[in-house]
Formats: sequence, C-alpha cells, structure tokens
Amino acid sequence: MRRILARLALASLMLTLCGCGTSPTPTIRVGVALYQQEDTFISTVAQSLQQRALEEEQARGVKINLSVADGRGSQTQQNEQVDRFLDQKYDVICVNIVDRTAAAVIIDKAQAAGVPVIFFNRQPVEEDLSRWDGAYYVGSPGAQAGELQGQIVLEAWQQDPAALDRSGDGVVQYVMLEGEAGHQDALLRTKYSVLALTEAGVPVEKLANDTADWQRGQASIHMTQWLKEFGDQIEVVFANNDDMALGAIDACLAAALDPLPFVVGVDATPPALEAVEEGTLQGTVLNDAQGQAREMLDLACDLAEGTAPQVEDGHYVWLEYSAVTRKTLDAASAGAGNQSE
Amino acid sequence: MSNESKTLEKEAQAQAEARQPWTARRVGDLILNNALIIIMILAVIYIAIINENFLKAASIINIISQTAAYLPAALGIAGCIVLTGTDLSAGRAVGLTACISASLLQNAENLANKMWPEIGTLPIWAVIIIAMAIGALIGCFNGFFVAKFKLHPFIVTLGTQLILYTFLLLYVQQGNNKGMAISNLDPSYTSFVKGSLPFMKVGSTPIPNYVIFAVILTAIMWFVWNKTTFGKNMFALGSNEEAARVSGVNVFATTIAVFALAGALYGFTGFIEGARIGSNTANTGLNYELDAIAACVIGGVSFVGGIGKIRGIVIGVLMLRLIFVGLTMVGVPQDLQYLIKGAIILFACALDMRKYLVKK
Repeated sequence: MRRILARLALASLMLTLCGCGTSPTPTIRVGVALYQQEDTFISTVAQSLQQRALEEEQARGVKINLSVADGRGSQTQQNEQVDRFLDQKYDVICVNIVDRTAAAVIIDKAQAAGVPVIFFNRQPVEEDLSRWDGAYYVGSPGAQAGELQGQIVLEAWQQDPAALDRSGDGVVQYVMLEGEAGHQDALLRTKYSVLALTEAGVPVEKLANDTADWQRGQASIHMTQWLKEFGDQIEVVFANNDDMALGAIDACLAAALDPLPFVVGVDATPPALEAVEEGTLQGTVLNDAQGQAREMLDLACDLAEGTAPQVEDGHYVWLEYSAVTRKTLDAASAGAGNQSE
Repeated sequence: MSNESKTLEKEAQAQAEARQPWTARRVGDLILNNALIIIMILAVIYIAIINENFLKAASIINIISQTAAYLPAALGIAGCIVLTGTDLSAGRAVGLTACISASLLQNAENLANKMWPEIGTLPIWAVIIIAMAIGALIGCFNGFFVAKFKLHPFIVTLGTQLILYTFLLLYVQQGNNKGMAISNLDPSYTSFVKGSLPFMKVGSTPIPNYVIFAVILTAIMWFVWNKTTFGKNMFALGSNEEAARVSGVNVFATTIAVFALAGALYGFTGFIEGARIGSNTANTGLNYELDAIAACVIGGVSFVGGIGKIRGIVIGVLMLRLIFVGLTMVGVPQDLQYLIKGAIILFACALDMRKYLVKK
C-alpha cells in the first residue's frame, strides 16, 4: 500500500513537473475510449497503440500509461468513460466517438478539465471540432478510400471487361453494403467508390443497397437475400469495410456461387488479407492502423509534453489510404509482418 | 397485509429487538441486514486510499451527476416492481422521448440540420410536457394490458419495447433527418439541462441542473409513495391483490396509474438524456431498464411485491454508479466489471429474500 501511495505521489509530482518540462522521466497517461472493441479494424488500432506505446517510451524516454475502455456502441457509456478519464486527471484522451454528432459534449467536458482530446477514425462534425483548440482528429479522408476501391474495380474492367461484365450487357451491375447510417466514412465511401467508375466512363447499374452496420453477420444476411433476388446478375459487391465484404463472401460461398462476384472492401484487416490471398476477396484498401496509432501517440506525447503539435488547419492529422490487391499483397503483407514484430 | 398492521408489527418487532440481549447472532443479523451499506462504505474507503482522485470534488460530483441522471427512470420502474411486475420498455421509452425532445429543441439558426425546419424551437416547458405525456401514454398502454388482460408485465413490456423500437427507427427517419443522429441542439436546451446555477458549485466544479431536477423528483416521488392514497393503494396492491380488491382498491386504475407515472418519469429521463448525452439515435436509451431494475433490486425494492423505499432506490442507483466509477479508479479491467455488478445484484437479492423468509 505504501508503495502504491508513494508511486501515486511521485506520479502527481511528475505531472506537475512535466508541465514545466524539467522532469527527466515523466509519465504520460493516455485514456483511449473505443466505440466498439469488437470492430476488427478498431481492435487492430488498439493493438497497434499498445505496441507503439512501448516504442515511443524508449524513443522519448518517458513512461506511457495507456488505459483502453470499450464503449460497446453506446454514447452514454462512452461519455461516462471519458468522465472517468478526466476525473483521474489523464494527460490526453483519445476518443473513437460512437456518435460523430455528439462530440460537442465530450469536447466541452475536456475543455472544462483542460485535457486535450484526440478523436480518431470516426470524424466528429467540423463545427464541434473547431469549438476548442485542444480538440484534434487523426484519421484518413473517407473519400479517398472510396476512390481507391472504385479504382480497383476500374482496373479490373480496363484489363478485361468481359471477365467483370459477366452478363455481357456492357453495364456493371453492383450491390452496395453500407456501414452504419450517418457515419462519415460510410457516406463518403459509398459515394466515391461508384463515382470513380462513372467518372472513368464505365456504365454502372445499382441493383440494391442496404446498411449492414459494418458487421459481417448482417452483410451476409443482406447478401443472401440479394442472391435470391438477383442471383448471378450481381457482378460487383462494394462493401464499406472488410467485415461486410467477408460477410458477402460468406453468403456467396454458402449459396455455392461459382464464380464469385467481384468483391471489394476497405481496411485491409488480417482476415481480409487472407481472403485476398485465397482469391475470394478481389481487393481492399489499407486503412493504416499502424499509421493512425503512430500519429495519435505522437500527437498525444507532444500535447502532454507541451510541444506544439504538427497538425493541419489547427485540428487535423490525415493519413493516406492505399489499395491492396493480389498484386500489391506482397508489399502489404511485408508491412503487416513488420508490425507484428 | 395492510399498511397499518405492518407498521404495528414493525413496532412490536423493534420493541422485541430492543429487549433482546446483544448476542453474536443478533450482531450478525444486523451486519447482514445492512451488508450493502457496510460494503459501500468499505469500498469507498478502499478506493479513496488507492486512488486519491476518487474523493476530489470533480469525481464526487461526477458520481452524483450520474446518479441523478439514472434516478428518475429507476424511481419509475420501482413502482412497477412494487406491483410484482417490471418494465422492459423503459429504455426504448427513454430513447423515443429523447429523440422527440431533441428534435423539437434544435437550433433554429441552422435550418439545414434541423429535423423539422417548419417549426421553430419550442419553449422548454412545452417539450418537457410533451415528453412526459408521451411517456405516460406508453405507460398507460402497458398498464392497460397488464390490468385488463392480466398479462405479466414482463410479457407486455417486452412487446411494448419492440413496438417502441419501430417507432424510434421510423421517427429518426422523419422530416429532414433521414436516420441520422439528431444533433444541433439549441443552446437554451443544453444549458437548461447541463448548465448550473451560479451558486451551485463545489470548489471550481459546477453541479449540473439535472441534479436539482432529480432531487425535486425524488421528493415528489417520496410524497406520492408515502403520503397519498394512490401510494398506499400501490403497496396494498403489490402485497396482495385480492386483499386490496376486497378492501376497495381500484386495481385497474391503480395499475394503469403506476405504469403511467413510470412512463412520465421515463419521458423526463428522455428529455434530460437528449441534452446530457447529446447523441440521439435509434440506439439511445438501449438497456436503461436493466440498470434501473438492477438499482431497484440492490436498493431493496423486492420482486416479491409491496416492499420498497425511495431511500433504497437512491442508494441502489448510487451504489451501481459507485461500482462502475470506483472499479475503474482502482484499475479493475472493464470486462470484469460486469461480473462484479452481477454478483452484487445476486447478493443483494439473496439478502432481500433472506429478510423476507425470516419474516414468514
């Protein structure tokens, strides 16, 4: 008990000291609130954060104390978790917000407590973020993921239109599996993936679209329904993320469909990369989990140490997406190999 | 058993106890009967030693605020439990009224993001009345099926919960909203709920207004439960429906009124949550009833019926919040917290039944 008390006293002493930048080994306490840990991509980011924290500790000569909370898809729960982080006087709080329109509540709380808050992956509404200088966003521009997804399909079309256009009518028939309603990335990916095709002059026809809430199970249910309705008319399946793309593949395999439609996803999660290798998933877009984790921790440490952060427009850190297909997979899996070290 | 004979019996018991010597058994009983409070005090002391931030003003006010936010729904559901029932529709009722309140109190300056651009921002008192009326209507619906067809409230409210979810899903798609979260709330609404009166401060931490609302509601509910005919009828009905009927209690009206009162309280909770959480989607309020029921059970509102105190409910809600805040403070992983919450509910129920069995 005495040791804990002593450590606490030491920690609080350090906190006060590191404000002045004189302490040799300060502790940086970072609270991370996830919207839902079950989400494959989010859990990848969380893992990368843990790994990255160890590296950063050595690089900066600080101790990083990372505390992760799972909001389980409830904004109520997440707000309470943020309250607790603030009560415990964390130095920086990272929030993967459940409801992107509810950021104002969290930003106001953080501002009142004077604790900088970094949003990531789920982008808050712009007006909310500009409420306070201490609010930041780390993420990838949603439009780009859609464009790259569309380009994967476009490339396949340019190489061999007949292989993609199985019905031979010169039109690409597609279905769209959308992420949760109202999510910034879902809207942008849906819009720009198709736009990449139409802008290149490829005639497309939408057979169906529905929201599957980012989830594999729901996507599989929708896809099963569509297969009954349209059968092998479906030539391309756009999914806003990999989990849903894999769900669509599950449904196709269950229906013993051969050949599979051209399925593309986003995120490049490990199961999706496996599917690309197997050839069931034609392509995905690498949402840079390691990069997000790296940028978040960099930003968090800068903020805690009082260094001026390097951000765009005072609030944003943007990361690039990259397309992953069978061809680029070697490079991507090499990258994935590096991260697991 | 009528209330009078109960009080008489209690007095007799108290007198008998006073005469008894302080045996080990009696001390043991005393400890067991107050076990939850004792555990709560021990837990607070322990957490305060481990984490000095726990007893800081900000943290205490946070716990009080959270208690206040969950209290109205628990006060409502407690009435249903006293009638040996329950109410599973509470969470969705909170969600629906939260979405309605938020949509009626959006900022009129930003028309593009307003769900109903044609109507301006309504006055706050009107929205409170609307929310509570909608809640009460839902409660009446529940109460009607329970009273008229003698269905178990578990079944009725399970049905209502599902029906309300459809209403909720459809409502957020109405007007300009198209299924998005309802945001862009009017500043007057958020400051009415989350703001605080200038003198309501501990140190530099303000106490939000909804704490005051919760205190007022608790006082009103205490009065309703203890000082009105309706309250006495409710307990009589919960203890023994036949006896209550024979002694002239209008079972039909009382049942509906209990559920309607509960519904009105969910409506109020919805109004508060709309601004407090600031996230109003079809998922708002999900599983609120479970926390509220758990709090009631911990606070000694018995599923046997006819037993419960306002004081107990407040302690129950406070205790649940303490568990959640305290466990994080001492660094218990989030996944383990549900186990502890579940164990406490079981423990509280077992204690409660033990008292009841002894009485028998």
